[in-house]
Amino acid sequence: MSETDLSVPFRRRAGSALGDKHLQEALTIATTKFIGLRRDAFDEFPEGERLRDLAREIKEATLQHLHRYVEQLIDSVERLGGHVHYATTPEEARRVVLDIAARTGARMAVKSKSMASEEIHLNEALEAAGVIPIETDLGEYIIQLAHERPSHIIAPAIHKTKGQVADLFAKELKRQVAADPEELTRIARVELRQKFLEADLGITGANFAVADTGTVVLVTNEGNGRMVTSLPRVHVAVMGVEKVVPSMTDLMVFLQILAKSATGQKLSVYTTLVRGPRRPGELEGPDEFHLVLLDNGRIRQIAGPLREALYCLRCGACLNVCPVYRQIGGHAYGYTYPGPIGILLTAMLEGPGSVKDLAHASSLCGACADACPVRIDIPKMLVELRREIHEARIAPWTERLAYGLMEKVLASPSLYRWSKPLARLLQRPFARDGRIRSVPLAFTEWTRTRDLPALAPQTFHEQWPTLK
Amino acid sequence: MTTRTEFLSRIRTEVGKTPGLFSARTAPRPSDPRAVSETIKRELAERWPQALERFQLEFERVAGVFHRAASIAVVPQVVAGIARENEVRRLVAWDAPELGADLLDALTARGLEPFAMPPGDLADATERAELRRRVADAELGLTGVDLAIAETGTLVLRSGAGRPRSTSLLPACHIAVFDRTALIETLGQAGVFLELWNRGELEGRIGAVTSFITGPSRTADIELTLTRGVHGPKEVHAIFVDQAIRG
Amino acid sequence: MNAPVRAALMVTCLGDMFFPEVGVSVTRLLRRLGVTVDFPQGQTCCGQPLFNSGYHAGATRVAARTVEVFRDAEHVVVPSGSCAYMVRHEYPALLRDTPARAEAERLAGRTYELSQFLVRVLGKTRFKASVSGRVTYHDSCHLLRGLHESEAPRILLKNLEGAELVELPGGDECCGFGGSFSVRLPEVSSQILDKKIRNIEATGAACVVACDSGCLMQMGGGLGRRRSKVRPLHLAELLAGDER
Repeated sequence: MSETDLSVPFRRRAGSALGDKHLQEALTIATTKFIGLRRDAFDEFPEGERLRDLAREIKEATLQHLHRYVEQLIDSVERLGGHVHYATTPEEARRVVLDIAARTGARMAVKSKSMASEEIHLNEALEAAGVIPIETDLGEYIIQLAHERPSHIIAPAIHKTKGQVADLFAKELKRQVAADPEELTRIARVELRQKFLEADLGITGANFAVADTGTVVLVTNEGNGRMVTSLPRVHVAVMGVEKVVPSMTDLMVFLQILAKSATGQKLSVYTTLVRGPRRPGELEGPDEFHLVLLDNGRIRQIAGPLREALYCLRCGACLNVCPVYRQIGGHAYGYTYPGPIGILLTAMLEGPGSVKDLAHASSLCGACADACPVRIDIPKMLVELRREIHEARIAPWTERLAYGLMEKVLASPSLYRWSKPLARLLQRPFARDGRIRSVPLAFTEWTRTRDLPALAPQTFHEQWPTLK
Repeated sequence: MTTRTEFLSRIRTEVGKTPGLFSARTAPRPSDPRAVSETIKRELAERWPQALERFQLEFERVAGVFHRAASIAVVPQVVAGIARENEVRRLVAWDAPELGADLLDALTARGLEPFAMPPGDLADATERAELRRRVADAELGLTGVDLAIAETGTLVLRSGAGRPRSTSLLPACHIAVFDRTALIETLGQAGVFLELWNRGELEGRIGAVTSFITGPSRTADIELTLTRGVHGPKEVHAIFVDQAIRG
Repeated sequence: MNAPVRAALMVTCLGDMFFPEVGVSVTRLLRRLGVTVDFPQGQTCCGQPLFNSGYHAGATRVAARTVEVFRDAEHVVVPSGSCAYMVRHEYPALLRDTPARAEAERLAGRTYELSQFLVRVLGKTRFKASVSGRVTYHDSCHLLRGLHESEAPRILLKNLEGAELVELPGGDECCGFGGSFSVRLPEVSSQILDKKIRNIEATGAACVVACDSGCLMQMGGGLGRRRSKVRPLHLAELLAGDER
């Protein structure tokens, strides 16, 4: 159910999610909880609105000089003794990481949660190259054991019950465990502690990277980000190139709103600021530090229609408030990034053709833009994507014909006037007491669950003369 | 493989194509972070009791345990109390100069098995492996604090020589000792210190990592049930010392 | 208000064809308040269905026509947050590179959703209800998050003689309509609606009020199919004081 086959049309994928009772329950509980936590956090924080504006402005200002900030970041990291790599494609990014693994003789990699590494499908590549990848975020660990993909940006395993997790641990770890989150967490702690101490390679993403100082910033609650950057002898951070922020002062603006938007915490438990490899005199920390800067469709959007999506902090707030996400969950979307922002990011990464159905998976209600800490106008870009899809003639011909007709009618008052008696005639077999309970063609499905109002016996246009 | 030049020139080209969505500036930075940081400290010399009260409130909200000690000499007693409650004895601590005091003898006298981190790196690989095992086996980790942020109940720790990262990470119980010189009010103020600390090259003994720690390690990944201590410490204690630690 | 106010009614396509009683109520209501109501002939639809589905060339043509139709209006009143939003926010951008640009901007500045017109332009907040008892209010998305208006309808409803406003749990959440969304993804749309209806019924209200025919079509369609006792009502119908 939760594994996604892209050959199945989106509407069917969504349909099976709607039929999954357990998923429905989990989604309702999780998203409702996140919405409340976020609301409370901002209610308590009067500066929040101003900081959101400021954060948005910083993102825009950064993009306006992105080449300068990226160059500064590269120089800073290299000055600290780190290495910077450049990846235009996912393939290239994987190659960079595999080369590092091979050169350093790495056998096992511990990973802290990273959407960028999900995006480039790094785990499969590591496995194929004989390096065991271990996801260490508890949610990611669970879905890795289950051979699934995350269903939420910040809560990857919200679709699983504790019972399912207990069964999974029993099968994969050969241990009988009670279906108790506390106990399950304890088992994971023991299992993963060993991996942290053994692994040669630590792989992370980056929530931010500060240009001025070469600092990679990781935000976690579990502490795995600290483990992964402290214990293995090599640290590789993979980040989308848009994650750069100019200064520490800018960083603090984002930190003040990120956790509040994501989980309603004032600050996540751990914010880890990493400046390159271990310094002289330091007992711990990696001998080597690598930063992989990932393009994968981002750079061309700097001047593209999805520019604003490059502001995204990956907090997940837009998922929680989206009426569509709340019904279908993350897997039905079919790609790495779910939810409203996920549609835009998928279009960015895979091209607009990949979202010809997904672009319509929104009622344009605007709840996402409202919740977004940096106020990304997601609905506007969804409409823009729909325009691109229409203009590329990817939409089915029946749809194009229907909209072509609609335009003709709406642009001509006389056609508009004459369409009404015609419609009245057509609806006659279906309408009763001013309601239509079943109708053919495009509205068949509409009327499966809802009545349609029948065309009024007298339209307002027709009634107006009598209103004098 | 994409080179630095190609990559940057591609970004430059795209940036050049658009004026952007609106006129925008980055956050105004303190031009002299040292001066600003000194002003913050000066102002707190008067306001610190309120800041401490707020710190305690927020720290407890994130499930931290707050203690207060009249002087550093009382700290071993507090630590021993925590150890007793958890029924543990093995403790690793930052090197004495980094902690601000040598507490090993006092801790030993109270029945603990304390071990201090070396003042620097260890050249010998076997020795290092041995030390890591010792830290991993320890039940308590005793550290100092560079900043304590009242607004969020956050402890900020910089890694470095004599103050390894793992002391506050691997033991299930982290105990942090600080006095009012570490106390600040807001995350915004913390930004000033980050600006100050990260100007130019890193100084002598300072390490590569700055950690913001806001309570014990937690997860809600299974059915959103809040669970503590998934990877990092299950308990975090903050001991506030009234009398300046460094005399 | 000393000088007589003149307002042109933009009745909207859904209002014209499916809910003419809403336009009738608006007309009566405004006339009772001393407003001279015009109904410019030749109006069809704001073009939002085309625009939202990406058919921007078509939407631009429809928009240009609408701008022309309402050229002489002093105020334009729309009993729909969504269409008012379209005119106020999308028209200027849509017609940016056309000769109608200046006219579009002028129209945007004079167009009001009904509750906003009553409260913010006319300053009228006290009305008699057409139904008595509990009513609940659904914030339509474009009025709430597009026009940032949650106050005006509530001021009107709270002051309503004979009716008591009970807040709808999740009242700010989408009803699942979304225009073509409800046709393209009917199952998802219906399930969103299910939740909305559960919330509406839980309030014990006799009717659910909205300021948008789209939402009323969706919620009304669902309530009707369930044979619910709750009546979907446009704000204008409630304020005009005429029973349906």
